[in-house]
Amino acid sequence: MVPVTLKQFSALVLLAAMAYSTLSCAVASSSEAYFGTTTPPARNILRYVTGDEPESLDPAISNGQPEARIYMALFEGLVEYNPKTLGPDPELATHWSTNDDSSEFIFYLRRGARWSNGDPINANDFVYTFRRAFAKETASRNAYMGYSIKYAQPFNEGQVFVRDKSNGTFLLAKDFDQLVPAEPLSGSPIDPNKNEYQQAGKDSEPPPANTPFHEAMHTPLRLTLPGDEKSRTKLLNSDAKLKAAVANKELVPVKAEDLGIEAVDDYTLRVSLTSPSPFFVKALAHQVFRLVPQKTVENWGEQWTQPEHIVTCGPFKVKTWRPYDKLVVERDPMYWDAATVKLDEIYFYPMSDNPTIMNLYKVGDVDAVLNHTVPNAWLDIVRTKQDYMDGVEASIDYLIINTTKAPMNDVRVRRAFNMSVDKEAWAAWRKVVKPLTAFTPTGIFAGYPQPTGDAFNTEEARKLLGEAGYPVMKNGDGSYSCPKFPSIEFIYNTQESNKAMAEWMQAQWKQNLGITVTLRNMDWKTFLVARAKLDFNGFGRGAWGADYMDPFSFLSLFTEGGDSGTGWTDPKYSDMIDRANRTLDPNERYRLLAEAEAFMLKAQPVIPLDTGSVNWVKKPYVKGMYPNAGSLFAWKYVYIERDQAKWDFKAPSLAE
Amino acid sequence: MVRFIIRRLLITIPTIIVVITLTWALVKLAPGNFYSGEKRLPPAIEKNIREKYGLDKPWYQQYAKTMANILLHFDFGTSLRFEGQSVNTIIRRSLPVSAAVGILAYLLALVVGITVGSIAALKQNSRWDYASMALAMLGISIPNFVLGPILVLVFSLSLYWLPPSRWNGFPSINLILPVLTLSAIYMAYIARLTRAGMLEVLRSDYIRTARAKGLSERDVVIKHALRGGLMPVVSYTGPALAFLLTGTVVVERIFALPGLGNYFIQASLNRDEPLIIGIVAFISITLLLMNMLVDIVYAYLDPRVRYQ
Repeated sequence: MVPVTLKQFSALVLLAAMAYSTLSCAVASSSEAYFGTTTPPARNILRYVTGDEPESLDPAISNGQPEARIYMALFEGLVEYNPKTLGPDPELATHWSTNDDSSEFIFYLRRGARWSNGDPINANDFVYTFRRAFAKETASRNAYMGYSIKYAQPFNEGQVFVRDKSNGTFLLAKDFDQLVPAEPLSGSPIDPNKNEYQQAGKDSEPPPANTPFHEAMHTPLRLTLPGDEKSRTKLLNSDAKLKAAVANKELVPVKAEDLGIEAVDDYTLRVSLTSPSPFFVKALAHQVFRLVPQKTVENWGEQWTQPEHIVTCGPFKVKTWRPYDKLVVERDPMYWDAATVKLDEIYFYPMSDNPTIMNLYKVGDVDAVLNHTVPNAWLDIVRTKQDYMDGVEASIDYLIINTTKAPMNDVRVRRAFNMSVDKEAWAAWRKVVKPLTAFTPTGIFAGYPQPTGDAFNTEEARKLLGEAGYPVMKNGDGSYSCPKFPSIEFIYNTQESNKAMAEWMQAQWKQNLGITVTLRNMDWKTFLVARAKLDFNGFGRGAWGADYMDPFSFLSLFTEGGDSGTGWTDPKYSDMIDRANRTLDPNERYRLLAEAEAFMLKAQPVIPLDTGSVNWVKKPYVKGMYPNAGSLFAWKYVYIERDQAKWDFKAPSLAE
Repeated sequence: MVRFIIRRLLITIPTIIVVITLTWALVKLAPGNFYSGEKRLPPAIEKNIREKYGLDKPWYQQYAKTMANILLHFDFGTSLRFEGQSVNTIIRRSLPVSAAVGILAYLLALVVGITVGSIAALKQNSRWDYASMALAMLGISIPNFVLGPILVLVFSLSLYWLPPSRWNGFPSINLILPVLTLSAIYMAYIARLTRAGMLEVLRSDYIRTARAKGLSERDVVIKHALRGGLMPVVSYTGPALAFLLTGTVVVERIFALPGLGNYFIQASLNRDEPLIIGIVAFISITLLLMNMLVDIVYAYLDPRVRYQ
């Protein structure tokens, strides 16, 4: 053996390193238009980073977006999100009709759809899925999505009906509660001479025949009381009339069979709602309405989602699952539309550290990533690349105000703080978002006459503060001070971008009003508690994404029982929203919703900041994925394109 | 000796009960819960979830149930966050990942550290000595959350040689960067320990005797000096290995490895009570066992310890 000196060896290593780096530079520079490598994978496999580790593969359980994307591969509902508009596309329902006040829907199901084990799918599967989703024992976090279905909410809350033992009749809600709105068509007795489905048009199928269950649904809403004795007694003691009426009556628990969902025959499903809900079909693509397999769930209980047991109904089925590593799904030959499915497999990688995700993307170990992945500091480089996915998101950033504590309980003070935040400058600083003065995202809901809130106006802001009793003084050096203003705070959950946001806002108010707001950060779960309990005086970070593509998904936050996090409600606002939702004409409905939004903005319980941006990347050879407003993808249309001429150059258009 | 081991084991049990109780209390006192998110849940749904997981019961009942399951059945229960996944399964699944990376890192640290440390000691005050000790100083000073990304930047993003992250089974090239990152500090520490130990031994009488006997320098170093010089490294190995085995939060996070450390940090952030308690208990048991092993080895080496 020839002895090699250390010097010679080092020289060799150095030479090899130099040669390799030159080579890899050459490879990298050939694809400079894109961020990192652009070599398609050898097989038709999509490697996708979907975000946090999925909580469960059970679509009723998790309410997260990372999971929603996985459920879209594994489970189907009546409708599916359109890959571009996210509007409801027919899926297991081929078509549907709506009664004349949007309080009853009939879905006609696809024939020939099967589970991954080959069993046929029919209307009873939907009845089971819906009943299970609202059952108390399931403890679904998404159950509220379907509270408009008749008796879904009382069933989910474990409430009871009140029945008169002597004649078997039930007490009715309208007799005891002034707030119960007038009965919709679905709650009025059926008139055999009247067609409730005139709106559906002449071409549509005639509504299916009447059934005893349908008759029972078409009765005024029954009264329901809390199921547990303690809260019931408390309620009865506060209402003498109610207490007298309930005395000597029988309490009947609301059962799964009472829900307003009926399999008229194997391929027809009828859904009765409590009140008119024109947005109902839009919400049906949500995970909580996706089919789960009755036999499997009943056999295995919580374990039914484990790879060895799971039965699915989507374009893909589970192949392997290693938590915190990857979930592999493969094309399901049983799927009714298997011919459309082009990918053999999808690898879902659970990851949440953005730089780590972007690194994997750059070296070509993943083909596409979830939304909000490009760190702010990387945007200047990544935005110029052709594989950057820009697009408005159906989400908003805003600041919540605790409207229950002084000084923020004064609307003038709230407006002053809103007017002294320059949202244009904020959006420019954040680079990819759009400035916002309203509470609905801009550019998402076509035809919605979105109102505008107060514009940036520091002069007016200082004047308003003065009127509220906190005069703003101009100092000698041109700065402002507001000595009488009490100390308030800004709470946010610990994260670099939130800290930057808090400091940015703090600077705005210091500069324009002379008020220093104290910043207080806390860990995520602590922050959620503080926000829910209104345990802060001043501002908090807020964000909201659409549950379905309708302005109501945002405006419902401020109705009674909503989650605005501000303590602000107004019965007048709730009435305005309710009136809008009872309006059949979609344009008129949008106009009324916009009026309600404008009314809420005047009260300023929040400071809107921006409409979000999807902000992600995908390799040019990944086709059929669009930068849609919810970052939800119907995977059956996604494929790997090997012909470079057909690659995506720039983000693909959302126009249909 | 047997009595000594039994006594040590008996002390271990109350220690673990205390650790679990404290962890349980801390988790209960922390604000928030596993199901909360950006969108607040209606109170009725919250109630359903609390009933399903028995969180509506009085605290002493919850505590008694948790303790009984752990002590009688060695069952830590089911993760709250990850429905249907038992804590025992999660630990069984993630421990090999952490252990693989940890053991490889420690082996690498031993080989490189001892070699570099010995060379430095043998060529004291030479260029080799200064260079290697400067490197070791650097290794101790650079935290792994800095070193990891630098290695990724050089070897993955610029040279495209190695994958930047993710687990890809064992063995695979995905292990190279995390193992390097993790071992750097141990490597540096062992190099310094070896150098110090060797320097002391090299000056001792028996080495002079060995040299005087006319042994080759190679035999002197390997057969005599190294044995004595490595004693500090041996006693350092116990706690270091316990730490490495049970996962290293930072490295597993940077490289997205499905190890115990990654689960641990996520479980705390998610307020996943059974999982937190399970992992804390597991780490404590491992540490206590490792310490006991070290004590037994000491007792074996030094009879005085046994009779104290």
